[in-house]
Amino acid sequence: MLGIFLAVSRVDIPVSSNSLQPDITHLVRMSLIQAALTTFLSLSVGIALAWALNRLRFFGRPLVVSLFATAIVAPAIVVALGMIAVWGRAGWINQLLAIFSLGWNGSIFGLHGILFAHTILNGAFAAHILLARLQTIPAQKLKTGQSLALSPLRRFLVLDWPVISGALPSLGAIIFLLAFTSFPIVLILGGGPANQTLEVAIYSYVRLSFDLRAALSLALVQLVFCLIIVLPALLATPSLASSGTTRQFHWPDTKGATIAQWAILTLALAGFGLPLLAVLVNGIGPGLFPVLTQNRFWQATITSLSIGAISAFVTLVLALGLTTSRNSFSSPLMRAALALPAFAYLVIPALVLSLGFFLSVRALQIAPSNAAPLVLVLANALLALPFAISVLAPALDAINKRYAKTARSLGLSGFARWRMLEWPLMGREVGIVLAFGFCFSLGDLGVIALFGTSEFSTLPWLMFRALGAYRTNDAAAIASVLLLLTLIVFWALPPLMEKLSHAKS
Amino acid sequence: MLKVEQLTFTQPGQSLSYVYDLEVAPGEIVVVTGVSGAGKSTLLDLIAGFLSPTDGSLSLNETDLLPLPPEKRPLSILFQEDNLFEHLSVAKNLALALTANQGQENERILEALNEVGLGGYGPRRASNLSGGQKQRVALARTLLRNRPVLLLDEPFASLDEKTARDMRALVRCLTDTKQWHTLIVSHAKEDARQLADRLYSLCEGRLNPEVLQVQDPKINRWTPMRPPRATRQGHH
Repeated sequence: MLGIFLAVSRVDIPVSSNSLQPDITHLVRMSLIQAALTTFLSLSVGIALAWALNRLRFFGRPLVVSLFATAIVAPAIVVALGMIAVWGRAGWINQLLAIFSLGWNGSIFGLHGILFAHTILNGAFAAHILLARLQTIPAQKLKTGQSLALSPLRRFLVLDWPVISGALPSLGAIIFLLAFTSFPIVLILGGGPANQTLEVAIYSYVRLSFDLRAALSLALVQLVFCLIIVLPALLATPSLASSGTTRQFHWPDTKGATIAQWAILTLALAGFGLPLLAVLVNGIGPGLFPVLTQNRFWQATITSLSIGAISAFVTLVLALGLTTSRNSFSSPLMRAALALPAFAYLVIPALVLSLGFFLSVRALQIAPSNAAPLVLVLANALLALPFAISVLAPALDAINKRYAKTARSLGLSGFARWRMLEWPLMGREVGIVLAFGFCFSLGDLGVIALFGTSEFSTLPWLMFRALGAYRTNDAAAIASVLLLLTLIVFWALPPLMEKLSHAKS
Repeated sequence: MLKVEQLTFTQPGQSLSYVYDLEVAPGEIVVVTGVSGAGKSTLLDLIAGFLSPTDGSLSLNETDLLPLPPEKRPLSILFQEDNLFEHLSVAKNLALALTANQGQENERILEALNEVGLGGYGPRRASNLSGGQKQRVALARTLLRNRPVLLLDEPFASLDEKTARDMRALVRCLTDTKQWHTLIVSHAKEDARQLADRLYSLCEGRLNPEVLQVQDPKINRWTPMRPPRATRQGHH
């Protein structure tokens, strides 16, 4: 942000004589329409899917639930590629229709493609959050409801809606923000300037025409809109976290409702799971081996893994520092003040943050390629911070509420308290935060978009360049590696850290 | 008569089986005591249909209850807390017990609230009630449901002693007047002393009949509230 403010005060920012002046009204209108529609559709899908998952019990349910949970970390560029693999002209759907001598002439590119991709990603994310909320309904309330023979509709209105509705303002705000600042999906599926958003326009003005003044004005407009639209909702209901889960009590709905729930689950699995499956199927095959022999692939992999690991560690340190200092204050005002800087990163788009760093680096007369590793680590750690805090804060609050007096009476503080009390009880949360930090960084295209070069590359950047050069086999292979790494880390790290923390306790 | 015969339940992954045998007559209050984790709530969950037994039978007046889902069983259940939906008004909480075609909804709700001493509380939000008031509203709802079996799971545990005493008197009164079959599980000795017509203790998964002991006249101030047991049994 300092970079942006410095740049605003300077007059020697490059202005390209060739570039057109940005049509800010059109860009704002497109960004708003797209984000509003995405929010509405994603919340609707999220509520329906959470409802279905909450009611249905079947073999493999935990796997399905954790599959939808990956929506928050699945690299958007990979999902976009998966969408093309399923819904594109040569995609799975058309191949299937061809068997029956049918064809689908529609295109996945355009506003509907953007909305579809955003809805399956954000709908799955919303479902995960709302399902966690539904699982906090006390078993005794469910038993009371069942013994009162509440119909499925009445049950939803009386039991589910009160816990769901509390999360909708902040969840809606986050989804709006994710859609408003979405970059890879709009870039790949947008289908041209008509559907361009502010985020993609900023990228175009920096990378394609190097008109930093135009990019700066767009970044400021975007920041202002993010603040105006999102902050009130976040301040009204700042936390999405649900206060633990109760012992599971299963109360199945009537047959009609159960059929509807299966239909919703099947559609959601097809919508979210098929693109991911397509990425794996298309990527892991003969096309993978040529990529594995490329030196640049291994360089990008090492860069991605190193930056991801360091980002994850920095995210954890920053989040722990902020949450523990927040807990040492009893005044709600001080606690809110300490949390605010972290949550501010929710309203700062990756590309705008990247632009800020880009301008700062230029102002300090450092070559962007030299600063790139540090910028990538720092920017990705900061962008993951709000999510990390929303995981750590409720767990730390619960520990504090339960053990603060005992710990104080025993003189436990600082590192000793962390080692004896917090680490053994928070291993899983620490694992989730590390996974968030790692996966966000691994899938990042927003920050690398301004710093990536042919010499300094990460896996998403390499994949993006392969797509741009129509090397689709290479792109598919890199996408599958990215997806596999994301899934492995996201699924394995939390239980691994939980196990480690228990082993140490 | 509510009959629980060799009703057996084994928690998955555990070797201990719970085997329950007991009877509850109309107008009778049976109290089951036991330490935490002894299986008291499991007994109520089995009777209410929230858990399925591995063996045994459960009947009310010779009608087999086991094939019925929880919502079809002729019983009401009250827990220590979370009986009311706190975002709804008292009246709306009670209306959940009425089906759409029962008519005269408001009058019936008012009548039930009067019966538990909370007339005029209908418009209040449930979250604004005290613990004792919430339990009384929940009892009013069981009045509206008018099911012959009342199951109470630690119903007075979170109430102060005076409120708990009032609640016990109310349960006693309703059981007598409505001829409910009332089964209470509780770890509180007061519940057994003040309410039980019959008492069981639950130990190692089995119910053991206990002898009711009158220990202290002060504790047994409730005695005049109920007719002598022999007389009441004579009614049935």
